[in-house]
Amino acid sequence: MQQPNTKTQRYDRQLRLWHNHGQQALENSKVLLINGSATGTEILKNLVLPGIQSFTVLDGNKVANADLGNNFFLTRESVGKSRSKEVTDLLRELNNDVEGNHLEEDPTNLINNDLNFFKKFTIVVASQLIEVELLKLSAFLWENNIPLIVVRTYGFIGYLRIAVPEHTVVETHPEQIVDLRLDSPFKELSTFANSFDFSTMTSFELSHVPYVVLLLRSLGEFRQQYGHLPSSTNEKNEFKNLIKQKMSGVTSETENFDEALSSAFRTYSPTSNTQSILQDEKISNLNLKSTNFWILAKALKSFIENEGNGFLPVAGTLPDMKSDTTSYVELQTIYKNKAKQDVASVNNYLLEILNNLGKPKDSIPLEEVERFCKNANFLRVIKYRSLNDEYLNASTTLGFTTNDILHLTVLKKKKFFYKGKLLEDLNSNVVFFVLIRAVDSFWEKYRRYPGVHNSEVDADIPLLKRCTQNLLQGWGVNPGLIQDDHIHCMVRAGACEMHNMAAIQGGIVAQEIIKILTGQYIPLDNSFIFNGMNSTSTTFRI
Amino acid sequence: MTHQTQWTTSIYPLLERTGPFANTGFEPEALHTCKILVIGAGGLGCELLKNLALSGFKDIHVIDMDTIDISNLNRQFLFRQSDVGKSKAEVAANFIMKRIVGCKVTPYFGKIQDKDTEYYSQFTLIICGLDSVEARRWINATVVGMFDPEDPSTLKPIIDGGTEGLKGQSRIILPSFTACYECSLEMQTKPKTFPICTIANTPRLPEHCIEFASVLEWPKHFPDTKIDGDDPTHIKWLLNTALERAKEFNIAGVTYSLTQGVVKNIIPAIASTNAIVAASCANEAFKIVTNCSIYLNNYMMYTGDDSIYTLTFPLEKKENCSVCGSAKVNLDISKEKTLLELIDILKELPEFQLKKPSLRSLKTSLYMQAPPFLEEKTRVNLDKPLMELITNGEELTITDINLPISLQLTVTFV
Ligand SMILES: [Zn+2]
Repeated sequence: MQQPNTKTQRYDRQLRLWHNHGQQALENSKVLLINGSATGTEILKNLVLPGIQSFTVLDGNKVANADLGNNFFLTRESVGKSRSKEVTDLLRELNNDVEGNHLEEDPTNLINNDLNFFKKFTIVVASQLIEVELLKLSAFLWENNIPLIVVRTYGFIGYLRIAVPEHTVVETHPEQIVDLRLDSPFKELSTFANSFDFSTMTSFELSHVPYVVLLLRSLGEFRQQYGHLPSSTNEKNEFKNLIKQKMSGVTSETENFDEALSSAFRTYSPTSNTQSILQDEKISNLNLKSTNFWILAKALKSFIENEGNGFLPVAGTLPDMKSDTTSYVELQTIYKNKAKQDVASVNNYLLEILNNLGKPKDSIPLEEVERFCKNANFLRVIKYRSLNDEYLNASTTLGFTTNDILHLTVLKKKKFFYKGKLLEDLNSNVVFFVLIRAVDSFWEKYRRYPGVHNSEVDADIPLLKRCTQNLLQGWGVNPGLIQDDHIHCMVRAGACEMHNMAAIQGGIVAQEIIKILTGQYIPLDNSFIFNGMNSTSTTFRI
Repeated sequence: MTHQTQWTTSIYPLLERTGPFANTGFEPEALHTCKILVIGAGGLGCELLKNLALSGFKDIHVIDMDTIDISNLNRQFLFRQSDVGKSKAEVAANFIMKRIVGCKVTPYFGKIQDKDTEYYSQFTLIICGLDSVEARRWINATVVGMFDPEDPSTLKPIIDGGTEGLKGQSRIILPSFTACYECSLEMQTKPKTFPICTIANTPRLPEHCIEFASVLEWPKHFPDTKIDGDDPTHIKWLLNTALERAKEFNIAGVTYSLTQGVVKNIIPAIASTNAIVAASCANEAFKIVTNCSIYLNNYMMYTGDDSIYTLTFPLEKKENCSVCGSAKVNLDISKEKTLLELIDILKELPEFQLKKPSLRSLKTSLYMQAPPFLEEKTRVNLDKPLMELITNGEELTITDINLPISLQLTVTFV
C-alpha cells in the first residue's frame, strides 16, 4: 500500500468528512461571488482552501480605505484599484489548484443586460445586493436550477437565505446505519443463526455469540410459540426471558447478552422521509432532465415492490459487537453479500430505466448505486421556497402572524437562560429578519442606510420605526411587535460590516455551500439569523 | 474615541455610540491599549489572529510549539507549501504583521508550560485555540489559580474554542464566576479505546488490527522508540503489521489513512467550522474588552451536519471542581477492597479522567507511579485491603499527570 500523495495529504482532514467523491464534486464546482465584501471574501476563503474548481468575483467597486478595515484580502497598495481583481489575487494564493477569475463590472448592469452570464456557475453567492436586482437574478437562477445564497452582515446581525427549487441528499451522514433485519431475516441470515448449538457451548463460547444470533434465535422460538412478533408488554417480557434463558450457561461476563437485551426491539422499516420521497411525482415523470437521484429512486421503488417484498435493500453494515472473530466476520460477510445482491437487483432496474430514457448504461456508476442503497433509509429532499415568492406574496403565503413569529423562535431551541434586563427581548432573533428587510426599505426610500453618521442616529430611529411598521402592516402583522430597542440597535450599527461578524457568516455560509456542492449532510432550509450580541441563532423556514 | 483610522471604520459605529444592548462600563479605548494572548496558531489560531487584528487589537501574542505540516494547509490559511517545517507561531505572526499595518504580533515557538504566572498576568484576556485536553487543563488551572478575589486585576477571562468536523463550540470562562474548563471535563468526548483482550484475542474491526500493531507489537519490536504518527516509516510498519493481522482474521478495511487516523487520533478539521468558532471567540473578546455589547453567557455549541443549529447556555460551576471549587471528593468504598481496586475506581470517575494516579496518605506514600524505585517500593500495597493501609474517613492526596493540581479524597468505609 502506497503512502498518500501530496494532494491526499493536504486534504486528509476534510476527506475524512466527505471522502473522495465529495472532494471530486467540490473540484467540479464553479462559484460566483457578487461583491467582494468582507463577508464575501471570507466565504470564498473557506471554499478555496478545501479546493473548489474555480471562483469568480463580480464587483464594480474600487478599493476604498474603509475596505481595509474589515477585508483581509486587501492591502494598502490595493486602495483605488479594482476590488474584484485585488481580492481575487490574494484569495488565489490560498490554493494553487483553484482557478480565480475577476470581473470588474457593476453586478446591476450584468443582471439587467446579460443574465446568461450567470448560467455558467454551479452556485451563486449574493452579498449585499439590493432588492430589485436580487429578485431579478433569483428568478433567473431558480429557472435554471442554480442555487442562490443570499447573505447579509449588518452590525451584530448575520442573515442567510438559500433558494433553489430542489436539493437532494443521499449521504446525510447519520450517526450510524444499523440495519440488522431482525424482524424479517433473509434466508442466509436464518441459516447462520440456526447453526449455533447453544447446548454444547462452553461459557466462554456462549459469551462470544454475537447478539444478532441471540436475538434471531429467541425471536424464532417466540414466533413458533405465538405465531407473531412480540407486541404486548407481557409478550415483550416473555421474549426477554427467552434471551435470558440462554444466559444460564455463562459464568463470566455477559456483555453480548446485555447488548441483545438492549437491542431486543430494534426494527428497520422505511422512514417516513424515504416513504414520501418514493411517492414523489418526479419518479413517475422521469425524463432526460431527471437527476441521478430520481432515477435511482425509481429503481429503488421497483426493487421494494418486487424482490424487496416491501423492504429496502440491506445496508450491508454491521456495528461492532461482542463476538469471537469468526462469527463476527461470517455475519459481516452474510450482510455484505446480501447487500451486494440487493444492489445488483436495484442496478438491473436502473439499467432498464436508463435504457427506456435513452441514456447510456454507464451514466450512473455502480459505486453511486451502492451508496444510494446503503443510505436508502436516510435520503433527504428539500424543496425550497423561491425568493420571489417570499417577497412578492408576503401578505398571503408568508403567513406571518404575531404568533408565528413568536413560534418560530422557539423551534428546536431551548429557552435561553439569560438573566440580564434586556435579554428577554432578544429571544426572538426573527425580529432581526424583519429589521434587515426594514433597513432595505429605508434604503429604497432614502437611498442611504440609517445611522451611518453619528448626527443621524437620533433622527433615524423614528424613520426606521416607520419603515418597519409599514412593512409589518403590509404583511398583516401587528406593527407594534418590534420593540424600540431593536430598532435603535439597527440604527446604532450604521450598516457596518464588522470583520468578526463577516467571518462568522463566512464560515456558516461556506459550510452550507460545501453541503450543497458535495450533496452530503443536510443544508439549511431556508433562513438563518445569527445574533452576535448574545451569540444565539435562529433557523426558520419562511 | 477621537481618532478614526482607516482600520476601524467597520467598527466605529459600535464604539462611538452606546446602545440598548451595550454593557455598562462601555470602554472602546481599551481596544487599542490591551494585550491579548492567543494560544495555538493552528486552525483556530490563524483565524483568531486575523480576526483580532481586524477588530482593532494592536498588541497580540501567540504561543505554539508545533511546526507546519502539509495536512494543515487545507485550513491554516496563513501557511503555504513553502512554510512546511517552520514554526507555526512565527510564520503566522509575520504574515499578520505584513498584511495588517499597525498590528504587532509577538510569537513564541514553544510550550505553554515554559511560561510562568508572571508572563500570563500581563494579558487582559487569553484565547485558546487548542486541540489537546491536557494543554487546556493546564492553562485553565494556571489562569484560574492566578485569580485573587482581593485584586480584580488578576481576573483574566479565558475564551476557549474547539472544533471537530462540522461541530464546534466557543465559551467564556470568567475565573470563579463561571464554570471553568475543569468543571466541564465530563463533556469532553474521550478518544475511542478498545479493550486489550479484544485486541489480543478477538479482533473484529480494522481498528482492532491497527491497535494490535501499535499497542502490542510496536513496543516488542522497538522498545526504545515512541511511535511518531508523522513519520511515514512508522506508519508503514504499523500498516503492514495490521494488514498481516487483518489477513489472518479475514478482516477488511485496514488502510494507510485509517492507520494514521487511529494512531494519531486524527479529528476531521475544515476551514469553515474553524472560521465560525474562531470568529465567535474573537467577537466575544471584542465585546468583553470594549463592553460595546452584552456577551456570550457562557457556552455556545454549533452543529452543522443537519441544517444550522446552535445552542447557547450558561454552563454551571461544579461545587467540587478540582480547580475552581473546593477540591474535595468523597468516596464510599468497602474496606475489604484493595488499593488497586480503589485506583481503578478513581480512573473510572469521568470528572477527573486520571491516567496514572499516585496516592499519599497523611503519613506515607501509598502508591507512587514514579520514580521507578518508589513505584517498586509501593507496589506491594496494591493488593492489600484498604483497611490495612488507611483509617475510615482519612483524607488522601491524589496526584496525576492529567490533574493540574492535587486532589483531596476522603475515603469512607461502608
Ligand atoms: Zn471549575
